[in-house]
Amino acid sequence: MVSPAGLTRLVCLVAVLATVGLLPWLSHRDPALTVLRARSAEQEPTEEALSAIRQDLGLDAGPLSLLGNWASDLLHGDFGTSWVSGTEVLPSVIAGLQVSLALMGAALGVAVVLAAVLVAPVLVRGRGSAGAFAAMLVALPEFLLATIALLVCGVWLGWLPTAGWAGPEYLVLPALALGVPAGGLLGRLVADALPAVLDERWVELWRGAGVSRTRVSAAALKRVLPPLVPQFGMVAVGLTGGAVAVEMVFAVPGIGRTALGAAKSQDLPLLQGSVLALLLLGLVAGAAAVGVRRRLLGPALRDAGLTLPPARPVRTHPAIPSALFTLLAVTIGWGLLRDPYTVNTGARLAAPAWAHPLGTDALGRDVLARLGHGAASTVGTAAAICVLSLLVALALGFLPGIAAGAADIANALPPVIVGILVAAAAGPGTGGAALAVALISWPALSAHAAALVQEVRASAFLTAQRAMGATPFWILTRHVLPSVAAPVARHALLRLPGIALALASLGFLGLGAQPPTPEWGLLLDESRAYVERAPWAALAPAVALALLAGLAVSGAAAVQGRRPTRRAIGASSTRRGARVVQKETSVGV
Amino acid sequence: MTDPLLDVRDLVVRYGDVTAVDHVSLSLAEGETLALNGPSGCGKSSTALAVLQLHRPHAGEVRFEGRELTTLTERELRPLRPRMQPVFQDPYGSLSPRHRIRDAVAEPLKVQGRWTGADGPARVAELLDRVGLDPSYGDRRPHELSGGQCQRVGIARALASEPRLLVLDEPVSALDPSVRAGVLNLLADLQDDLGLGYLFICHDRAVVRHFADRTIEMREGRVTSG
Repeated sequence: MVSPAGLTRLVCLVAVLATVGLLPWLSHRDPALTVLRARSAEQEPTEEALSAIRQDLGLDAGPLSLLGNWASDLLHGDFGTSWVSGTEVLPSVIAGLQVSLALMGAALGVAVVLAAVLVAPVLVRGRGSAGAFAAMLVALPEFLLATIALLVCGVWLGWLPTAGWAGPEYLVLPALALGVPAGGLLGRLVADALPAVLDERWVELWRGAGVSRTRVSAAALKRVLPPLVPQFGMVAVGLTGGAVAVEMVFAVPGIGRTALGAAKSQDLPLLQGSVLALLLLGLVAGAAAVGVRRRLLGPALRDAGLTLPPARPVRTHPAIPSALFTLLAVTIGWGLLRDPYTVNTGARLAAPAWAHPLGTDALGRDVLARLGHGAASTVGTAAAICVLSLLVALALGFLPGIAAGAADIANALPPVIVGILVAAAAGPGTGGAALAVALISWPALSAHAAALVQEVRASAFLTAQRAMGATPFWILTRHVLPSVAAPVARHALLRLPGIALALASLGFLGLGAQPPTPEWGLLLDESRAYVERAPWAALAPAVALALLAGLAVSGAAAVQGRRPTRRAIGASSTRRGARVVQKETSVGV
Repeated sequence: MTDPLLDVRDLVVRYGDVTAVDHVSLSLAEGETLALNGPSGCGKSSTALAVLQLHRPHAGEVRFEGRELTTLTERELRPLRPRMQPVFQDPYGSLSPRHRIRDAVAEPLKVQGRWTGADGPARVAELLDRVGLDPSYGDRRPHELSGGQCQRVGIARALASEPRLLVLDEPVSALDPSVRAGVLNLLADLQDDLGLGYLFICHDRAVVRHFADRTIEMREGRVTSG
């Protein structure tokens, strides 16, 4: 017997793999032209030359045989040859993978140390939480952190090398940029769950019996970890996505940078190979998490599971999100009144002054204006994605079995990898980036909707509706949908800043909006090259993104703090809350 | 003798491998109160849901007003459903927290196409009055009412369907002892005035002895006496 969730999981996995395999067919531009240009620049793109290449690549045979050939080659260990360089794909993938694994290992080390630093005070004091600082670290996307680390430590202070991969000192900054958000999340999950566990009866009993603090702490940690392990798996998945941005910023020759470069140069075999490697990393991380969890739980609890008491997340004063929102809104509103496109080469990279409150960029365009208009496009697209995921979530909320399987796969895919795939198939653009983010932003909402649907359906008042002769349509539209739609819509609204950050991250990597569109991620990327001469141009979008991240976290925390815990879904909703934050980090690339 | 209001023969209800109701038979006349008594988990509530066809029984016959219900489709059943109404144990859970009392009582009228703008509101006020609630309570929501008041709203909503049979599933178990007598007296008055049949499910023998005409004892899904 296969459960519906297992079946959809399999179907979605096969669909993702087939998408990878069919990339040459899905991409609309003629790859033959790419190949010809790359292999022999002097040769004229005659029809014979092009069709010879098409035949050589097997492109004229149609999608099914293309997919079949790709899969059978793959099973024989043949990843194909690069269209651009003409070399075997497998060695470059393995070389990239080695570098990336070293980077991820170092980042994991950073994450564990940071998590320990965040958790230690809670263990010592026996209460409290990781606080707003950890929440802030969690929300900062890797691409932003990497840019800031590059600016401060590399360029201004000159302490550490900022580009390349020639020795252990090259590892420090990328590992920090990748490890800090992950460590913040790990630490926050554990630190938020610990106080409730330390209030459990057995702790009092052990202390009364004279068990040492160290042993109580160790036992509490062992109690906290197993239920959180699935989220640790998602942190590992987030690392594979974050690696792409970090490797690009620090010019690290890892698998993420290879994939990104291949997507941009339309080198599809190399892209297929490296995306497969990234997917494999994500799946192995997920499987490892399951294994670790079983090991920690032991045979007795393996099936029964072990739930945590409801966590006590950080609470924020509602004034903080309001202030952040007002600051952003005023900046954006002011910028919207100005012209973002006028090029003035006479005033390139000008310092902030009254004429240009945030200075000008490399083409003399007003940074404030570009920031304001960028917000309109980024936030507008994010709002559209929110509405779309809300609709998907409401529809799937009624089919929890099917949704769960698809959600497992969507959760295992970092947005960057989906963004790379979509960009390779459809070309980079705002629409593609929006599609990529939308494809993976619905699971948290649909899990929430499914829990609410289940709760409403089980209630006695719905039974009363049936007893009075109400039709299923009446019950659905008058009772179930209104009970579910409002809370899920609020949840969707809370995810808006996180989705905007995901879009910005794709823009930053060149997978989203294209120049001269003013998009926040793109603004940050464009200004990186001039950062020594005009730091304000880079600082403005970086600060704006950080404010947005702060708004995402403090807004969620303020709402969570205000809402009384509901008895039936209390525990699961807080866990889901943590998962929302997790998705937002991975969403930040 | 005329046909009984409700006649149940060899009712069987299963959840997976568990047989919750095992060949239960009972019969109930107009204006009569039949109590189903037994410890928790003995299959009383499963019997109630199966009689109401809210959980379709696995086997057996349920004749209501001379019609066999078990063979009907959901669509054929819908016009008959108003004739038999449940009152649940949890007074708050049986009302939608989002709706006002007035809307909860009006809903059967709307669902059954008997609502008109002219005399609908008056009918709702009359029903609230009938169960001993001031019609001004119509503006409130369930959480603004006491448990006993909510249970009265639940009874008013059931009456709005103009039923012949009320299936009362532990209607007073969740209420304070001081409130119980009031609700039980209301139910007795309604039965006298309207000639309703009551299938009364209860685990409290004292209440059963006071309230029921006849009693059936259940244990582990079977009828043990009655």
